[in-house]
Amino acid sequence: MSLKFYRRVAFGLSPNEKQDKDPLNWALSQLNTIPDLLWPGSIPSEKDLRKKYGEWVYGDREVLRKKYKNDKNAYKIAKDELRIKTGERYFELNEHAIRHFQTKYSAQPVFERFWLFWGNHFAISEKDFLAEFSTGPYQREIIRPNMVKTFEDMVLSVTTSWCMIHHLDNSESFGPNSKKGMEWRETINENHARELLELHTVSPNAGYTQEDVIQLAYIMTGWSHKWSRKNLETGDVWFDQEMHQKGDKVVLGVKYKNDAKRELTKVIHDLATHPICIKFVSTKLCRHFITDEPTEEMINPVIEAWNNSNGSLVEIHKAVITQAYKYNETTHKFHPPEIWLMQLSRMFDLNTPLSAKKMEYTFKSRPTNKQRQLSWILREIGNSPYRAKQPNGWSDFEVDWVSPELLLRRFWFASIELPMLIKPGNKSHDFILACLKNNFEDHENMASIIHQFRFGTSDKDLGRKYGVICNLPGVLKI
Amino acid sequence: MNCTRRNFLIGGSTTLFLSGYFPKISFASMQKKNLIIISLRGGMDGLTAVPVIGDKSLKKLRKKLILEDVLNLNSDFGLHPKLEIFHKLWEINQAAFVHATNIPYTGRSHFDGQNLMETGAHIPYKEKTGWLGRGLLASNIIGKGLAISLPMPLLLRGVPQNNNFFPSPDFVETKLIDQIYNEFKGEHNELIKSTLDTIKQRPFSMQIATDSEDRKKLALEAAKQLKDQSGPRVAVFDLDGFDTHAAQGGVDGAHADELEEINKIVTILYENLGQAFDNTLILTLTEFGRTIKQNGGYGTEHGYGSAILMAGGLVKKSQVYTDWPGLKKKELFEGRDLNSTIDSRAVYNSAMSVCFNQDPEFLRKEVFWGDELPDLSQELFKI
Repeated sequence: MSLKFYRRVAFGLSPNEKQDKDPLNWALSQLNTIPDLLWPGSIPSEKDLRKKYGEWVYGDREVLRKKYKNDKNAYKIAKDELRIKTGERYFELNEHAIRHFQTKYSAQPVFERFWLFWGNHFAISEKDFLAEFSTGPYQREIIRPNMVKTFEDMVLSVTTSWCMIHHLDNSESFGPNSKKGMEWRETINENHARELLELHTVSPNAGYTQEDVIQLAYIMTGWSHKWSRKNLETGDVWFDQEMHQKGDKVVLGVKYKNDAKRELTKVIHDLATHPICIKFVSTKLCRHFITDEPTEEMINPVIEAWNNSNGSLVEIHKAVITQAYKYNETTHKFHPPEIWLMQLSRMFDLNTPLSAKKMEYTFKSRPTNKQRQLSWILREIGNSPYRAKQPNGWSDFEVDWVSPELLLRRFWFASIELPMLIKPGNKSHDFILACLKNNFEDHENMASIIHQFRFGTSDKDLGRKYGVICNLPGVLKI
Repeated sequence: MNCTRRNFLIGGSTTLFLSGYFPKISFASMQKKNLIIISLRGGMDGLTAVPVIGDKSLKKLRKKLILEDVLNLNSDFGLHPKLEIFHKLWEINQAAFVHATNIPYTGRSHFDGQNLMETGAHIPYKEKTGWLGRGLLASNIIGKGLAISLPMPLLLRGVPQNNNFFPSPDFVETKLIDQIYNEFKGEHNELIKSTLDTIKQRPFSMQIATDSEDRKKLALEAAKQLKDQSGPRVAVFDLDGFDTHAAQGGVDGAHADELEEINKIVTILYENLGQAFDNTLILTLTEFGRTIKQNGGYGTEHGYGSAILMAGGLVKKSQVYTDWPGLKKKELFEGRDLNSTIDSRAVYNSAMSVCFNQDPEFLRKEVFWGDELPDLSQELFKI
């Protein structure tokens, strides 16, 4: 079994890890439990961060905009102060540190790869201030705990989470025949219903119609955030009967009797166990771990495991890994920039993320450049994880990640930024050679390419070595 | 809007089918012609960009979204005040609009829709190349595509050696590529290898470091390159954020902000292309329009028909070219959306034929599988 399996399903081996005698078992045994988050710094709760979100929007929208309506400059200054005070500039940086600390040090790195996958399947794209406050805790508190439950459990948690409801506007969706809908002459907002069908569950392959979207939106009416003058849109999610469309609904040919909040549980059960949903999501999983265009033979065992276990994610994950193992030698997979960065960080023990102590924040001044570094790098290599442009998340296809500029960004990172992230004790040429040996069968060939730079230890020399090594085909791709 | 649908139909496309194509070999056609596409992701609302004036149905259904002031185009259509540059160009016959148009896709999914607006196909995700890439390839124009975005847009894929411009914050030593170039072997490494080829051949002006957050700088560089007689002939800009389900607004608001972005890009191109602007065509592209009716969040839902904004010296004259379907309930697509009466691919096919000096019939077959797309070049563009 070649060493690339450790990068296919995880992040490669760190200098103090050795390959396992039984790599398949090594990987499978990581999927039964949820590893703790290892970040020694602050890990604020979703609810606390939502409160901060509230302070920020309330302070800006309800206080500052009114107070400084005639003074643009004073407004700008006051707004900047509010950003600092509420952590608007900080929390996302901390979330990136939590995430990358986890992928770097977790004893269950295979589990972490699935965590990244699901967070992107149920993506929260760049909208309002979600990335600044809420997408990180959503990944930790909504996605992660569901990874040992069923797919259906995960869909239900995601669909009723504050983050997704805000992301896809469901609080603005009123049943036109509901009490509030009639009173305020309001109607539905289809956004969330459409993405629940298209992205999260059955996909357009299910052949749903516009009427199906409308009917599902009716079922979803009422699932909204509580609103108050002080907290605005950041209240908890609840089911508001007065917004809910009355009457029976029909989605994909199935009738859902008028049953208030229970309608959603029922329809999600049907969507999440729909054969087309199972095939769609299984294909995406295989695409992520095996190759861009997985074949039926690759996907079918995953579908089978799904059906046999009634959608148990642990069993589904195991089937995916078993397939990834089976096809390890015969398939190729190009990794998007963030996973590439995580792998470099683990294999070469890079000095990122910043230590928890240095990430501490006092809410009195802007975050330092050091505190911003990881997030800045992620943005510059084109893959800031919580800022996908659209609700379908980041692409998993090579063609979407190969362009002159995207490849140049990788050279940029490896040759200019990475040398500054090498720990002082790791600057020797022997260290690189040891890391290569630990992770690549063809390490001798790789070593011969950088042989000419072997005596240099300045950042510039290291930049040349890493610029070359990190962009070799076997590193960009498995 | 007092007119009925038929008053609007300008020209008869049947006559054009018969007119045939006679490529002109003249000095003018030796000049390099530029085609610039601005992708508007999320679904651009044609009725916000180019609102129809005095339509009672619209006023009734969009109480919170009606524009108080619009720039005047003609007796039937106005222009969103943020699209100033188009108004300025309209005055000198260098801006025009195609209205009630869209790709033949009615599914209302962004992702399927965007895939189809770029591939020009009928089935989502079936084609792996874009209509613009195929058009360039069919016209044997290789290595002349420039994307102003970090990824390579699907629209341009299908022809090798496209470039993009979205520089990193520091200068990158590209000679490092020589050390590893030969390591890229085998079919599965072909895409990366050909991309490395493109990097190696990049003009010096592209090997700079700049702040790519600054759209102005990017548009300036694009203008500089397009102006160069040996530079790119096609440029693709990518804008997103048109999916205004909430707080869409009127003169100001979420949709207006996005229109302002288009305006900025076109202004920079106009101001910096100089004479080359006369040989340039700028067209917008979107996946669908938006519902007529405002929704529960004072936004709009995914719809069907939208508009194409056009600018440049190759525009024939200032006009709103449309076969207006009307906005009464029964005239709407599925009772809710502005209908599309012009397959927007006909506009793009015609634009390519003009800019690439190709027979539209030939391109229609090579690029759009022979789909029935009337040649609109005589109505819309200078040929």
